[in-house]
Amino acid sequence: MRYQQFYGFLRSNGVKLTLTVLLALGAFWVHLAPALATTNQVVKIALLGEPPNLNSTKATDADSFFIIGHTMEGLTRYDQAGNIVPAVAEKWEINDKTATFKIRKDVKWADGSPITAKDFVFSWRTVVDPKIASEYSFLLYHIKNAEAINTGKKPIQELGVVAKDDHTLEVTFEKPCGYFLALTTFPTYMPVKESFFKAQNGKFGAEASNILSNGPFKLTSWVHGASLRLEKNPNYWDAKSITLDAIDIPYITPNEGTRFNLFKTGRIDTLGLTKNILQDAQREKFKLNKFADGTLFFMRFNFREGRPTANKNLRLALAKVLNTNDFISKVIGIPGTLEGTGLIPSFLQGATKLFRKEYPIAARRQNLAEAKKLIADAKKELKLTGPLSLVWLTGDTPVATSEAEYFQGLFKTHLGIDLKIDKQIFKQRLAKASAGDFDIESAGWGPDYADPMTFADLFTTWNNNNNGKWENKEYDAFIRKAMNTVKPKERMDAMAAAEKILLEEFPIIPTYERTVIYTQADRLTGVVRRSVGFDPDFTRAKIIK
Amino acid sequence: MTQSKSPPGSLPHNQPSSAALGASLNQFTANDFLPANRAGLTSGLSRPSLSYWQDAWRRLRKNKQSLASLFVVSSLLAFVFLGPLVWTVDPNHQDQTQISIGLSMGATAIVIGDRNDWPGLDASPIPAIEESTQELGAPANLRTVDVVSTLGVRLAWDPVPGAAAYAIYRNEIAPEPDRLGVPLGSTQAPERVSYEDNESLQTRRYYYSVVAVNAAGVESTSASTLDLDLKPGMSLDLAQETKADAKEGDIIALRAAPLGTDSLGRDLLARLMFGGKISIFIGLFAAFLETLIGAMIGGISGFFGGRIDNYIMRVTDFVLGLPFLLFVILLKVAMGIGPGESGITALIIALVVLSWPGAARLVRGQVLQMRESEFIHAARMMGARPSYLLMRHMFPNLLGILLVSLTFNIPSAIFAEAFLSFIGLGVAAPAASWGSLCNDSIQNILTHPHEFLAPAITISLTVLAFNLLGDGLRDALDPKMRANE
Repeated sequence: MRYQQFYGFLRSNGVKLTLTVLLALGAFWVHLAPALATTNQVVKIALLGEPPNLNSTKATDADSFFIIGHTMEGLTRYDQAGNIVPAVAEKWEINDKTATFKIRKDVKWADGSPITAKDFVFSWRTVVDPKIASEYSFLLYHIKNAEAINTGKKPIQELGVVAKDDHTLEVTFEKPCGYFLALTTFPTYMPVKESFFKAQNGKFGAEASNILSNGPFKLTSWVHGASLRLEKNPNYWDAKSITLDAIDIPYITPNEGTRFNLFKTGRIDTLGLTKNILQDAQREKFKLNKFADGTLFFMRFNFREGRPTANKNLRLALAKVLNTNDFISKVIGIPGTLEGTGLIPSFLQGATKLFRKEYPIAARRQNLAEAKKLIADAKKELKLTGPLSLVWLTGDTPVATSEAEYFQGLFKTHLGIDLKIDKQIFKQRLAKASAGDFDIESAGWGPDYADPMTFADLFTTWNNNNNGKWENKEYDAFIRKAMNTVKPKERMDAMAAAEKILLEEFPIIPTYERTVIYTQADRLTGVVRRSVGFDPDFTRAKIIK
Repeated sequence: MTQSKSPPGSLPHNQPSSAALGASLNQFTANDFLPANRAGLTSGLSRPSLSYWQDAWRRLRKNKQSLASLFVVSSLLAFVFLGPLVWTVDPNHQDQTQISIGLSMGATAIVIGDRNDWPGLDASPIPAIEESTQELGAPANLRTVDVVSTLGVRLAWDPVPGAAAYAIYRNEIAPEPDRLGVPLGSTQAPERVSYEDNESLQTRRYYYSVVAVNAAGVESTSASTLDLDLKPGMSLDLAQETKADAKEGDIIALRAAPLGTDSLGRDLLARLMFGGKISIFIGLFAAFLETLIGAMIGGISGFFGGRIDNYIMRVTDFVLGLPFLLFVILLKVAMGIGPGESGITALIIALVVLSWPGAARLVRGQVLQMRESEFIHAARMMGARPSYLLMRHMFPNLLGILLVSLTFNIPSAIFAEAFLSFIGLGVAAPAASWGSLCNDSIQNILTHPHEFLAPAITISLTVLAFNLLGDGLRDALDPKMRANE
């Protein structure tokens, strides 16, 4: 799923103005807040930005998945220990060719109507519908005919999923898939009720009233850019194990200083820390925790017609000029952040041990002399005499800004490249990246399921998230090979070979693997932080007094 | 200025000497009818005659407040335009050895050799004597290895019996139990008894704590803590850029940073001068243009009067109603200024297009008043052409209010630029203005307030000084408008 830069948040200029007004009104909020604080079993959090898309068939980003993860439930889900457990489906059988899911008899939508196998069939057909153009459609390519339907070669009815009866869902595979069960936890695989979807007239997911939940919580209020509120869903099949009455999001605030003060005065219960507020958190004696969330950040290059970044020497020069250690220490500043060496993050398992241990990669080292030579070659090939100017598409968070200016200085000093910084709010950044309106995008990708494939297939020609439109037949061939086998060793070898091509061609330059340092209120327990699946997970959290 | 004090029809006053003449009416002699010699009377002026400007300057000098503002304004101009000649630091140079520091003069750094790839220290793990769930002790002999500097801290300790791993914490204040600070990481193997930290270290005191972790993954409650005062370190490569014969262990002087540096190690004093150039340029240029255009339009409106005046004034009302921010954004789009490109041209155009009505109304009022005054009527009757009237009679009389209007427009233009750059519509990085400097630094205001204070104070000082100077100039150039004297 797509990530924005380090605790990013939305901030358009318009929002900023509104914020100034909000800050002016802050005094009134202070009087209201203690009233909320005394309510029991309500978790209060500040969101960093407005969730860009709450339509489960089209959402692609971590902020939206956080909300969808609490309001919706798929066939299976991750429990607190990270195991896949039954959710809407109570049991299943999977072999290399088919999977059969038995749907619980007592599962209901938030409006009280029963969830049936047809809701899954409708949702999955919607995802692969070429007219809908869901960027996550490739996640369903393991299902028979999905790719042919998505590329317009077959009608939508031929998708290999049928509702045998209301409580039996049968899936036919295109090719065997070792991690299909993990995919069924994912938002793209969640059910959608056809009659409700059609009644929204294309506005499905646009407002709180255009969403029909089936998860532990339902979205009861959504004031765009200002607040959200999730309340316990009494029609949830496992409602008895949900303790929280509500997840209240009264603040969507861009300012890390504001969030710090909100936490300090007890108005929110969790706080992610950035370089700038880490120092204050130590002085306030917060209990600090950390976890690596498995998100890889990288620079993505644009290969569309006329983009200078399609030149290989230019990309190599940029890779050589980068001193990753220095960048992490000076700009990211969160202890434990790992150097981004390859495409597959270090936490993912290979055939027998960690993938990175099985296929080690030497860390890149800065080499200024070589970088200067490469950039001279690149300019010759591009027939450029004047200075080279590139557009750097990035988010508008403090870390993203700081990163952009760091690279702007680095590229200008050593390579004479003028970097134009295009700062956009998260939603707009995603839109521009999809449209290919950039030379270099500062992007991040978090794992969708616990298999190296969640990163490896990102740069294939058929992946809609391949925003740079990099095309490499050899790379595609290796990924196809890995997809068409279930033998662990063969799969990992193929993905490692693909990764090797990527690190020779540099369609992306990996920069770092994120580590999150956070703190939470002592009264809150049972919050799950994880790298695969939505994060943080409040579904089974409790407030203890 | 143009009104006569005599009521209509009254006789002109006689000269003072005529009363004496009347008293001795019957003692006329022929000499009394000779032309009077007035030479003595006119040459007896008590002080030299002063021109308009000399008089204004005299009045301005008497006003201490404006004199002080004048001094501040000239110092600011000197700071911004002459400052870079003295302080020749590149405002965009990112000094990696001095990040987010406060005022720094005469600091030194120690040159550190190649620090890549420290293999670390291993000890043979001591197996636990009892069950693995037993409470582990604190690691003994926590010490540093090699030189300790901001480039990195290498810690080592003695193994703890039964430890499966060690967790390392760093804090900026003395740690308390269960509040050891930032979790840096943990050693993965039981035999590893060392850790290297090179994550955003600053020149300050740090408290490092090491805790043993048992086989079940539970951290012991007893920690060993070591406090270290870090000194700046500089890598050998970087040191040789400034001093070719630098070698490991040398002490190298760091560049002074009178206002400190920002989070990317850029010198704030240099950036303040660099940013001021854009701010002051916009302030002067936009204010000059809008006053000039306003004066022309207001002059035409007032001079011709009637229908033309009516039309022009309605247009003025319309322009005054346009929202500035929206106008800037639309103009940026219309001019095709892409993201990451400077919006300065759009900003100046928007300022000029939307701000001329102020000056125009002022000038129109003045011209309307003057048009009806006697000296203009007299000049008209003598056949003066409109251009002559404008240039010879009206313009000199308008100069005062134009100058005052200009000095008031400068701070508002500077402030508008600062505001737009602050919300990200003005200059594009790496260029800077005072507004964008504030925007960059407001995120760090809790930890590094000096980064925000310098540009914020400069903006406030500039705007205040120009306003007070404008006040003083108004008093000096147009004494009748003065509130009290």
